[in-house]
Amino acid sequence: MTPDARILLVDDEASIQRAVGPLLRARGYQVDVAGTGAGALKMFGERAPDLMVLDLGLPDIEGTEVCRRVRALSKVPIIVLSARGAEADKVNALDLGADDYVTKPFGPEELLARIRVALRRVASEDDVETGVFRAGDLTIDYDRRRVLRQDTEIRLTPKEFELLSLLARNHDRVLTHRAILKAIWGPNAVEHTEHLWTLVAQLRRKIEPDPGTPRYLLSEPWVGYRLSTADSEGAA
Amino acid sequence: MGYHVAFMARGSSDVTRAAAAVGAVAAVTFIYVRWLHVSNLATVSTTFLLVVLVVAATSRLRVAAATSVAAMIAFNFFFLPPVGTLTIADPHNWVALVAFLAVSLVASHLSAVARARTQEAVWRRDELARLFDLSRDVQVVSDSREALASLARAIARRFDLEYVALALPRVGDWDVYEAGAATITLDTREFSRAFATAQTTLEFDAYARTYSGHRTMEVDGHTIRLVPLRVGTKPIGLLAAAGRPIEPGTLDTLGGVVAIAIERAHFLEERKAAALTRQSEELKTALLASLGHDLRTPLTAIRVAASNIKAPWLTAEARVEQIDLILSEVERLTRLFQNILDMARIDAGAVAAETRWAHPSEIVAAARGQVEQTLQRHTLDVSLDPDVPVRLDPRLTATALAHLLENAAQYAPEGSTIHVNARVTADGLVVRVRDHGPGVAPADLPYLFDRFYRGAAAGTHLSGTGMGLAIARGLLAVERGRVWAENAPDGGALFTILVPAAIKDTATEGEPVGSPAA
Repeated sequence: MTPDARILLVDDEASIQRAVGPLLRARGYQVDVAGTGAGALKMFGERAPDLMVLDLGLPDIEGTEVCRRVRALSKVPIIVLSARGAEADKVNALDLGADDYVTKPFGPEELLARIRVALRRVASEDDVETGVFRAGDLTIDYDRRRVLRQDTEIRLTPKEFELLSLLARNHDRVLTHRAILKAIWGPNAVEHTEHLWTLVAQLRRKIEPDPGTPRYLLSEPWVGYRLSTADSEGAA
Repeated sequence: MGYHVAFMARGSSDVTRAAAAVGAVAAVTFIYVRWLHVSNLATVSTTFLLVVLVVAATSRLRVAAATSVAAMIAFNFFFLPPVGTLTIADPHNWVALVAFLAVSLVASHLSAVARARTQEAVWRRDELARLFDLSRDVQVVSDSREALASLARAIARRFDLEYVALALPRVGDWDVYEAGAATITLDTREFSRAFATAQTTLEFDAYARTYSGHRTMEVDGHTIRLVPLRVGTKPIGLLAAAGRPIEPGTLDTLGGVVAIAIERAHFLEERKAAALTRQSEELKTALLASLGHDLRTPLTAIRVAASNIKAPWLTAEARVEQIDLILSEVERLTRLFQNILDMARIDAGAVAAETRWAHPSEIVAAARGQVEQTLQRHTLDVSLDPDVPVRLDPRLTATALAHLLENAAQYAPEGSTIHVNARVTADGLVVRVRDHGPGVAPADLPYLFDRFYRGAAAGTHLSGTGMGLAIARGLLAVERGRVWAENAPDGGALFTILVPAAIKDTATEGEPVGSPAA
C-alpha cells in the first residue's frame, strides 16, 4: 500500500463523508472531501489526488460525466460508488474511464481493499516495462507470446492470448464486456457477449488451477471481468 | 332529394309527354293530308315510325305504346285504303302496324334501361358522398364512451336516417348506442339472432354487393335493417337503421366503416389504459429508486462508522463523533420507516380520524416535538390567534404539520426562521408555515404533494424521502382537511393547512378540554 496517498472523496451525503473520511484518514491516507461534481472537479485540479472515490448520484453533474472529465485530464484511478441494481450506471462509468466500483451499502474493508489494489496497480505501472507479467504462479511473456503456469507452458489460441494479455495489462481493473469485445472482436461485436463468455470459459480451463472457482480471471456479474493479482499481494 | 318526389315528377311528366306525342302524330297527319297531300304509304309510315322512335327514346314504355297506337290509328284512318275507315283491307298493312308496336317497345325498353343506369349512378354517387363524409366524421371520434354515441349520431345525420343504433355484444347482453329522431325499442334477442347468423356464415351476394347476415324487421311501423359490423371477416356488432331506404351494398360498406371506427375507439381506449399502466409502473420505479437510495446511504454510513468505532486507533473525540453519526442515521432510518408505514396506512385506508377538542397550541407543540432533531438549526416562531379549542383529530393534524415543518427545515437555509401561525376561523383551523428558503418553482407547484416528487430547484440538499408532503396531504384528507402551497410575496414558501373544525363557544364553556401542552 502507498502511504500518504491523497484521496478525493466525492459524495453529496454528509453521513457518508463523516463515516468514510475518518476511515481513510485512519489508514494513513490524506483525504479531501467534495459534495458536488463541480466541487470535485475544482478540488481535483487544486489537490492532484492519487485516487478518487466518486459517488455516481451527485446533485449537480452526473457522476459519469465527472468520470469522463477527470479521465480526460489524468490517469488517476477512479473508484465509483453506486447502487446495487444500477449496473448500467456502473458499466457506463467504467466505459468512461473508471477503474473499479463498490456497491452501496459497502463494508469498510471492501472499499479499503479496492483502494489498495488501485493504488498498487498505478505503482506497478510506473516501474514495470519489462514485457513480463506475473501473478501468483502465472507468468505472461508478452514479447514471446508465451504463458507459463509453474514453469509449464500453456498453449493458448491467439484470441485466448489476446484476452489474457488485455486483462493482464489492466490487471485488477474491471473491464466491461463491451470494452473487451471491442478490443478483441472489433466495434461490431460489442453486443455479442456470448463470444466472450465462451472464450473466458476456454481460457479458465487452461490457466485456472480450479476453473470452477477462478482465482485469476474473475467475473463481475453483469458488468465485466478483471484479472486479479490478489494472491501475489498475499505472498508479497 | 326524396325518392317519392322523384317518382311523382315522373308520373306527371308521362301525361304531358303522351299529350305531346299524340299532338306530334296529329301534326304529321294534318301536314301530310291537308298541305302536302302525300299519299305514298312508305313515306307516311316512315315518318310515323320516326315519331314513335323519338318518343320511345325519351319517354317510358306506356307513353311510347300510346304513341304507337295513336300513330297506327292515324295511319289506318287517313292513309290506308279504304281511307276514312278503320278497316284494314290489305293484310300487308297489319305488318306495318305490328312494326310500329315492336319498334316502340324495343326503343322504349332500351331508353328505360339507359335512364335507370343514369339514375343508379346518381344514387351511387350520393351514397358514396355520404360514406365519404361519414369516414371523415369517424376520424374525429375520440376515445371515450361518448365516441360510439357520437358515431351513431354522425350516421343518422349523414344518411338522413330517422333511427340509428349501434349494438355491441358484451357478456350476456348488448351495449346499444342510439341516435335519430324516432324512438324505437328493439328486442335484443333480434340482435343475438342476427349476430349468430353473421358469425356462422360469410357469403358474398355479388348482385346486392352484401355479405350475409343482413336482416329486415318491422317494429312499431318502422322498417329496420340490421347489418353486421365486420372487421375483416369477424363480426363485432350490429348496425340498425330505419328511415330512408338505403341500398344493401351501401349498408354493408357503411357497416365496414363503422366497424373500423369502433375498433379505432377501442384501440385508443386500450392505448390510454396502457399509458396509465406505464405511469403507475414509473411511480413504482420511482418508489424503488427513492427507497433504495434512502436506505442504502444510512446503512453504509452506519456500517462504516460502526467498524470505525471498533478500530483501536480512534481518538475518544472521533469515537463520539462516529457514535453521533450512527444515532442520527438510525434516526433517519426510523423516520423513513415511519413514513413508509404511514404511506401504506393511508393507501390502505387504514387511517381513521378520531376527533376531540384540542388547543392549536397543543397541536403545534406536538408537531414540533416530532421533528425536534430536524429543526435544531432553525428558529421556530409560533403565533396563535386565538388559542381556543377546536374539534378535530389533533394527532393527524400535528403529524401533517410536522411534515410541513420538516420540509421547511430541509429547504430553508440553516439559521433562518420558520414562522408558524395558527388561526381559528369560521372554516376551522388554519395553520400557515412560512420559511425563508428559495420558495417553490412555479413548475413544481402542481406536483408538490405528489409522492416522491422533489422540486428540481431544491438542488443540492435532498435528505428527505419525497413522501412527507404526500403523507401530510393524505393524513389531512382523512379529516377532510386540505393543504396547499404558494410563494410568499416577499420570498420563501408558504404552506397552508385548513382543517374544518367545530369551534368551542367560549361563552358557554363547561365541557372539559384537552389541556394545552407546554
